[in-house]
Amino acid sequence: MAVAEARAAPAAPSLPVAPRRGAWSAFARHLLRDPYALAGISIYVVFLVVGLTAEWLAPYDPMEILFTPEGGLAASLPPGSDHWLGTTNLGRDIFSQLVMGTRPSLIVGLSAAVAVASIGTVVGLLAGYFGGWADQLLMRLTDIVLGLPFLPFVIVVTALLGPDLHNIVLAVAIMLWPNAARVIRSQVLTLSQRQFVEAARVTGAGEWRILFVHVAPSVLPFSALYGAFAVGWAILTQASIAFLGFGDSSAISWGTMLQDAYASQALDRGQFFWFMPAGLCIVLVVLAGFLVSRGYEDLLFPKLRDDK
Amino acid sequence: MTELLAVRDLAVAYANGTVHAVDGANLTLRRGGMLGLVGESGCGKTTLARALMGVLPGGARITRGEARLDGTDLVALAPAERRARLWRDLAFVPQTAMSALDPVYRLRDQMREVLCDRGGLSRAEADMRAAELFEAVGLHPRRLADYPHQFSGGMRQRAAIALALALRPKLVIADEPVTALDVIVQRQVLDTFRSLSAELGLSAIIVTHDISVVAYLCDQVAVMYAGRVVEHGPTDAVLEQPSHPYTMGLMNAFPDLESDEAVLAPIEGSPPPLSDPPPGCRFAPRCPFAEAICTREVPPPVTLAPDHWSACHRAPEAAALRQRARDPLTWRDVAEAAA
Amino acid sequence: MPYLIRRLLHMAFVLWAVATIVFLMFRLMPGDPSAAFIDPTFTVEQQQEIRAQFGLDRPLPEQYLIYLGNLARGEFGLSFRQRQPVIGMVLDVLPNTLLLTLTALLIAYAFGTLLGALMAWNRGGRFEAVSVPLVLTTRAAPEFWVGMVMLAIFAFGLGWLPSGGANTAGAQYTSEWDRILSLDYLRHLALPALTLAIYLQGLPALLMRSSMLEVMQEEFVTMARMKGLSERAIMLRHAARNALLPLVTAFALGFGQSVGGNVVVENVFSWPGLGRLLADAIANSDYPLAQCAFLLIAFVLVLMNFLADLLYGLLDPRVAHGRG
Repeated sequence: MAVAEARAAPAAPSLPVAPRRGAWSAFARHLLRDPYALAGISIYVVFLVVGLTAEWLAPYDPMEILFTPEGGLAASLPPGSDHWLGTTNLGRDIFSQLVMGTRPSLIVGLSAAVAVASIGTVVGLLAGYFGGWADQLLMRLTDIVLGLPFLPFVIVVTALLGPDLHNIVLAVAIMLWPNAARVIRSQVLTLSQRQFVEAARVTGAGEWRILFVHVAPSVLPFSALYGAFAVGWAILTQASIAFLGFGDSSAISWGTMLQDAYASQALDRGQFFWFMPAGLCIVLVVLAGFLVSRGYEDLLFPKLRDDK
Repeated sequence: MTELLAVRDLAVAYANGTVHAVDGANLTLRRGGMLGLVGESGCGKTTLARALMGVLPGGARITRGEARLDGTDLVALAPAERRARLWRDLAFVPQTAMSALDPVYRLRDQMREVLCDRGGLSRAEADMRAAELFEAVGLHPRRLADYPHQFSGGMRQRAAIALALALRPKLVIADEPVTALDVIVQRQVLDTFRSLSAELGLSAIIVTHDISVVAYLCDQVAVMYAGRVVEHGPTDAVLEQPSHPYTMGLMNAFPDLESDEAVLAPIEGSPPPLSDPPPGCRFAPRCPFAEAICTREVPPPVTLAPDHWSACHRAPEAAALRQRARDPLTWRDVAEAAA
Repeated sequence: MPYLIRRLLHMAFVLWAVATIVFLMFRLMPGDPSAAFIDPTFTVEQQQEIRAQFGLDRPLPEQYLIYLGNLARGEFGLSFRQRQPVIGMVLDVLPNTLLLTLTALLIAYAFGTLLGALMAWNRGGRFEAVSVPLVLTTRAAPEFWVGMVMLAIFAFGLGWLPSGGANTAGAQYTSEWDRILSLDYLRHLALPALTLAIYLQGLPALLMRSSMLEVMQEEFVTMARMKGLSERAIMLRHAARNALLPLVTAFALGFGQSVGGNVVVENVFSWPGLGRLLADAIANSDYPLAQCAFLLIAFVLVLMNFLADLLYGLLDPRVAHGRG
C-alpha cells in the first residue's frame, strides 16, 4: 500500500529562524508595539530619573528630624504643601524618604539582573556546549537550589554576611541563576545542531570561537529575559528583608520605610499616607519588569501563540 | 440513485476573506457509497471535510454554496440546529486518533459521553452499545477500560471509527484515516472500513492523498485541485480512463500495476498560490493541453457518463488527450514552455 | 518500581546537599561562627560550655560527621535561649504554618484556577485585557505590604478581625484540636490566609490560562466540538480537565515554597509559625533553633518537590503508564 502519493515533492519544512542578532530588533519592535511593554519601560524611565536626581527632588534630608515653625516636633503631620506625603511619627519627611528610597531598589534590582544574567549565561553556555560533567554538575546544582527555601536562605545569608545590599544581591543571584542557566543550556543544545554552527565548524573555527562568536549572541535575548525576571524578585526580596529587620536600617529604602511605619503603629492610626506610597512604588517597579518581560517571553517561547 | 450528500459551489475563506482554501467545490455521494476525496496536500480537501463538519479553524468560514445532507442544507442551518445534527447525522474519523482522543479518559468514558450526552442512552445501554461497536471494528470490548495511549496506532484508529459509528450517523467523514499508520496496519484499518461498508451499508467520504487507498476502498472518487473538484466519477472509470488532464498527470505518477511500462512522469510545476489563483481553469498553467479559453473561463463540469464528470473545457476530447498524456514528453514540453 | 526508587534516591541526595549547605552556612562564614550566636554577655565559661556542647571546639570534618549523625537520629540540639530541645519548639509551631499554608493555597487555587479558565475562555476579550494586568499587579505586590493594608483596613479600621496571633490571649482550650477548630482561631487565620492567597492566586491563574489556551488548540477539543457537545462540556470536561494537570504539580510545589515563603506574612500578623520562629531565632542569635527551623522548612520543600513529581505521574495516565 501507500505506493503512489498524489503529491508533488514536499517542500522542506521551514525551521524557525535562530534568534540571532535579529532578536534584538524584534525586541525593540515588540517594545514599541506592545502597549504593556511600553508602559513598563515608561515606569522604569521615570524611576531611573527619580533615582538619579533624588538629591534635587527630595525637599528634606530623609533622616532629619523636622520641627514646626512654632518649635514643636513636626510629627505625624498629614499630607500638605510643606510635606507632600506628611511626616513620620518622629518628624521625618515621608516624600523625601520615598524619593531617596528609590535608589536601593534600583541598585538591588539592576545588579541582581546583571548577576543572574551573566552567571546563568556563562554556565548555560558551557554546560550546553560541552555537555558531559559540566552539564551533570549544572543539573545537580539546579536540583539542590530547588531544595533551598528562597526567603529563609536570603535571611540567613544576610544575617551571617551582613545586611549590605550586595549580600542580598549575592543571595538572590545564588537562588536564581540556575533557572537562567537551564534554559540557556537547552537553547545552546538546539543551536549547536543548526546550520550556521555547522558552517562555522566546517570553516575550522575553534570551539571557543564558535561558542562565543556564533552561539552566544543567539542566547543573549534569553539572558536578558531572565535578568528582567531577577529585577522584580530582587526588589521584592530586598524590601522583605528590610521589613523583617535584617536589612541595613541606617539606609532609607522602601522596605525600611514600611518597617518603620509598621513598627510605629501607623496602621493602628490609619496613616495610609505613610505606608501606601512606598508599597505602591514597589508594586510599580516590579510590575514594570513583568510588563516588559511578559510579551517578550511570548516572543521567545512562541508555543503559546495561537498562530495555527 | 439515492443521493445522500450534495455539495454545490462550496467556498471556504480564511481570516481576511481573500484566501479561499476551497473555492467552488462540487461533490455528490449516494447512500451506502464510499467516496474518495483525493488531492495533493494543500488542495483544500481537509478544509472541505472540516467545513462539512462545521468545525473550521479560527477565522475560517464558509462564504458561499450549499451542502445538502438528505435534502437539508447544512450551511443554511442555525448554529444550534447544526450542532444538534453533529455526530448524529455526520461523524468524523481523524487522521491521528492519538491526538483526537482525549488522553485523560478511558475509551468507555469517551463512548459514554457521546452515547449518553448526544444519544440519550442510559449508562448501561451505552456500555452495551460500546461493546458492540468495539466488536464491529474488531476490538475486544475489554479494551474499553483502557486509555488511548494504551492502544497501538491501528487499534486507536479503529477505536476512533467505533466512536464515529456510535450514533449510527448517515455519513462518516474520515480525514486521512490511515496515513499515519504503517503499511500492514493500514490494510487492517481499510478492511475494517470495507466490512463496515458491506455489513452496515456505511456511507463515507475518505479524504486521502493516496490513490491506492481510493482504489482499494472507494466506489466513487472526487479529484481536487487548488480548492476545486476537477473530476468526479466511479473509481474504475476515473482511475482507468481519467478525463481531466490533472487526473491523467496523477495517474502517470502512479505506476501502472497492469502493464510493465513504468512511465512515472510527475507533473511539472506546483499548484497556484491560493491567495492569487489564476483566472479560468486553475490547472491551465501546468496543463499541456491548455488553450486560450482555459486561462479565461472557469470550466463547468462536463458530464461524460452518468455519474462521471470532468471540469475541463476539452473534456469531450478526453480519449485523445489521454493517449498524449501517456507520453512523458508531453509534460516536459509544458515545463520547458513555462521556463 | 524503579522510577520511584530513582526519585527517592534523588530526594535523599538533595536532602544531604541541603543539610551540608546549612552546615557550611552556619560554620564556615567569615569570623568566629559562634560569635554571631553567642551573646557577648555570656561568661567565658558559658561560652566554652556552649562551644563544647555543640562540638564547636572540634575540627570541622569531625563536626560535620557529628552533625550528620545527629540529623539522622533527629537530634537538633538545645535552644540557646530557652534551654530546651529545638525540635520540640519547631514541631509545636509547625501545625500553625501548615494550616495557614494549606488554607491560603486552597483559596488561591480555587480562585486562580477559575480565573485562569475564564481568561482563556474569553481570550482576546475585555475580561482578559483587564484581568491579566491585575493578576500581574498582585504578583508584584510585596506580601507584607498587602498584609499591612489588610490590617489597617480590616483589623484597625473596621475592627472586624483581630490584628495578630493565632488565638486571643488567655483563652483556654481543652486540647490542641479544640484550639485549632475554634472560631477564634479561624478569625485569626482569616487575614494572613487571605493576604497569602492574594499573592498565591496569580500563579494558578496564569498557569491555568496558558495551559487552557494550549489545550484548546488540541485536536481532541476540535473533535469534542464535532461531536456536537455543548461549549460548557467542551470547556469543562475536556479543556479544563486536561489543563488542570500542571496545576496539581504547581500546588504541591507551591506548598513547599509557601512554608518558607510565609516568613513575612507570619511576621506581619505575628502568626506563631515556622517562619516567625526562624526570623526570631536569627534576630536573637539562637543558632540551633534557626538551623532546625531552616532544615525543617527545607525538608518540607524537598518533600513537596518529590510529591509533585509523583503526583504528576499519577494524574497523567500517559506518564503513569509510560514509566516503568
